[in-house]
Amino acid sequence: MTKQEQVKAIFIEEAGEIIEKLDIDIIRFEENSCDFNLLNEIFRGVHTLKGNANAFGFTRLGEFVHHFEDVLDHYRSTQDSIEEHNLELFVGSVDVIKEVMTCELDVIDQLPESYAECLEKIKTLLSLKKGKGVVVVEASDNAPLLNDLASEFGLDCYDQYESLVEKSIQVHQAIQTEGFNLYKIDLTLDNDCYKRGFDYTLFLKNLAEKANSMESFFNMQNVPTFDTFRSDENSITQVSVVVLTPLSLEDVEEFFEYLFDNEYRVTFIAPQVVAEVTVAAKAEVVTKAEVVANTQPTKAVATAVKESDASNGATQKSTIRIDTFKLDELFDSVGELVIAQNFIAQNEKIRSIEDESINRAIETLSKITKRIQDRVMSLRMVAIKDTFDKMKRVIRDTSKKTGKEVQLIVQGEETEIDKTMIDSLSDPLIHIIRNAIDHGLEADAAERVRAGKNVEGKITLKAFHKSGSIVISVSDDGRGINKDKVLSKAIERGVISGDENLTDSQIFGLIMQPGFSTADTISDLSGRGVGLDVVKTSIEKLRGKIEIDSKEGEGTTFSMVLPLTLAIIDGMLVRTSEEIYIIPTLSVVESFRPEQEIVHIVKGKGEFVSLRGQYIPIIRLSDVFTLETQRIEPWEGILVCVETDAGRIAIMVDELIGRQQVVIKTLGKSLAKLKEISGGAILGNGDIALILNIDALRPLIEATHV
Amino acid sequence: MEFNGDVLTVDMNMSMEEIKEFEEFIRPRIDYIETVEVEEEGVLKSSAFLAILVSLKRTKPELQIPFLDKKMLNSQVHGKIHWICHD
Repeated sequence: MTKQEQVKAIFIEEAGEIIEKLDIDIIRFEENSCDFNLLNEIFRGVHTLKGNANAFGFTRLGEFVHHFEDVLDHYRSTQDSIEEHNLELFVGSVDVIKEVMTCELDVIDQLPESYAECLEKIKTLLSLKKGKGVVVVEASDNAPLLNDLASEFGLDCYDQYESLVEKSIQVHQAIQTEGFNLYKIDLTLDNDCYKRGFDYTLFLKNLAEKANSMESFFNMQNVPTFDTFRSDENSITQVSVVVLTPLSLEDVEEFFEYLFDNEYRVTFIAPQVVAEVTVAAKAEVVTKAEVVANTQPTKAVATAVKESDASNGATQKSTIRIDTFKLDELFDSVGELVIAQNFIAQNEKIRSIEDESINRAIETLSKITKRIQDRVMSLRMVAIKDTFDKMKRVIRDTSKKTGKEVQLIVQGEETEIDKTMIDSLSDPLIHIIRNAIDHGLEADAAERVRAGKNVEGKITLKAFHKSGSIVISVSDDGRGINKDKVLSKAIERGVISGDENLTDSQIFGLIMQPGFSTADTISDLSGRGVGLDVVKTSIEKLRGKIEIDSKEGEGTTFSMVLPLTLAIIDGMLVRTSEEIYIIPTLSVVESFRPEQEIVHIVKGKGEFVSLRGQYIPIIRLSDVFTLETQRIEPWEGILVCVETDAGRIAIMVDELIGRQQVVIKTLGKSLAKLKEISGGAILGNGDIALILNIDALRPLIEATHV
Repeated sequence: MEFNGDVLTVDMNMSMEEIKEFEEFIRPRIDYIETVEVEEEGVLKSSAFLAILVSLKRTKPELQIPFLDKKMLNSQVHGKIHWICHD
């Protein structure tokens, strides 16, 4: 990636964040349109986005946000109350911004249909609002209309101009390499300059010949209307030039030696700041990092944002953006450190040394290693609040679309979750929430009233920790799921045969089978199941699972149970023959040594264990991996009962070793082909254990169930 | 400079003298012109060219000047030029 591309990548990331925040803020503002602080916040986001978009040539986006910014600016400066339909226009504008951004990034010529329509509405609104303003100004001042508007927006216009120049300086700093100097040149030529033989273009041409990169900004604010305009009199009062050149300051100044002193100013811009910043990811985790960016400014794809600490001028708190790939690498290295530490701690030879100081050193090493591991883990964790905030928009839109009044309750939004998972959670959450409103809640207010409920449906978004996992749940207080109808539908569709003895949870789980139900077939389940299989797959990719709990007439809860992180797995270590395998603890239901009488062999279908009336197929790991071992009977070994996609299975092993958190390692090409294995881990003694992909351990349910 | 119906086409590489002629030409006709097209072949010779376009637009906001709306010119000779009109 070239430096220019890197800078662009930073812009895209920043723009994405701004748009994401706009999406959330605009909904918050819609809820409380008197919050002008929030409006200012939105304005600032749009303002920055405009500068960035124009700096990178995304003119269509720049054009749109320019007008949107003007409207926002009007409201924030006048503090006029905002009409409801205009609030709707603001929300729609953010949607357009999102779509146009996609068009710009994917270089799509065709803009969304809503672009022109929305832009027109904004312009109309602006001209209406400006019209009102002019009347007031004219009453007190006889200055021309355009000058009134200019003065009304004057300060911000200058801000905008300066912001673009500043942005250009940053871009040039980022691409600056050794041997090149960066200058900002401010030209303010007098109005008789043309007659003296000078023109801005002349200086630009001369400079450009010696420049590596150059960008100039013409401030046209004082160009008059045609009645007073004279083309031979300069009315462009300011031009700022940002130039990257090998020339020295003296050489650059030489270009302007024939101008009056007040007509030019050359400023040397130092290479990007060498800053020592304090990274405060957590209050107790304070790391000093030197961001040395003068030679390779964008090397770490990191931006450091300083925040002055009002209470303590000596300490600077700031955040640093780090490529998640680098965090993963760091995490990997810490994983290696843990393994090495375990190796030392468990090494028989070292343990046999009876020396207290060595034991103490090993103990200290163990504590420090654990602390480092925890802290590195915490770097990947972010609060789920932002994701929940985004869901407010989903709820608002779905509520409007369905015409159902919805009250949202959010709990546990400070719960932290692995950043990688956060990114993948949005889509499943959106799907479940839409389902909950559209199909979970009663069809209309009358139905709710008949059921003795409030007119307003309730959707609860909740995040919490449970047994070493994170649970994110979406509950509605709607109709609940009718189990009988689910069962009959599943039989009709051939999802189950009808002979199974299914638990409530398994019955509800059926609605997540691909193509299980459609809206036109079951009225009180309409839509549930359509696309829920995709949700299920997405969550399983995160090594999580979905649990459904429902009570007819009272509501339904979808719970996504997720591991704390994707980099570590909580596993049960088991031994078969001489090999050690890891079973994800999240899937383990129970483990036991079966009595001989509950083990059955069905001809052509294999071995089964009868557990509380349910026949569970037994899978011998030694058979799956063709291990050479002395064949024992199931009642001589241990069965680990696990929940898989297709129901429960009992994995037969020789020995249970214990439960342990392990750092997941990817496998080499040859092992990666084995679908029964999802990864590997290095144990404390240096041995390698394979992590089982339990869903691949059994064939389809119809082929094995009795 | 070419005047076709209500569209006036001008060259970007006008000299100061040509810009003055342009000014004289358009001053009495500003009400009749709906669009000013700019031929971008050549080099921007004078910044007065940008100024006159901005002035025209300021005087008659409904006048279409697509070149001005681009707000930016990428020039081999002058580098990247932006104009900020604040309208």
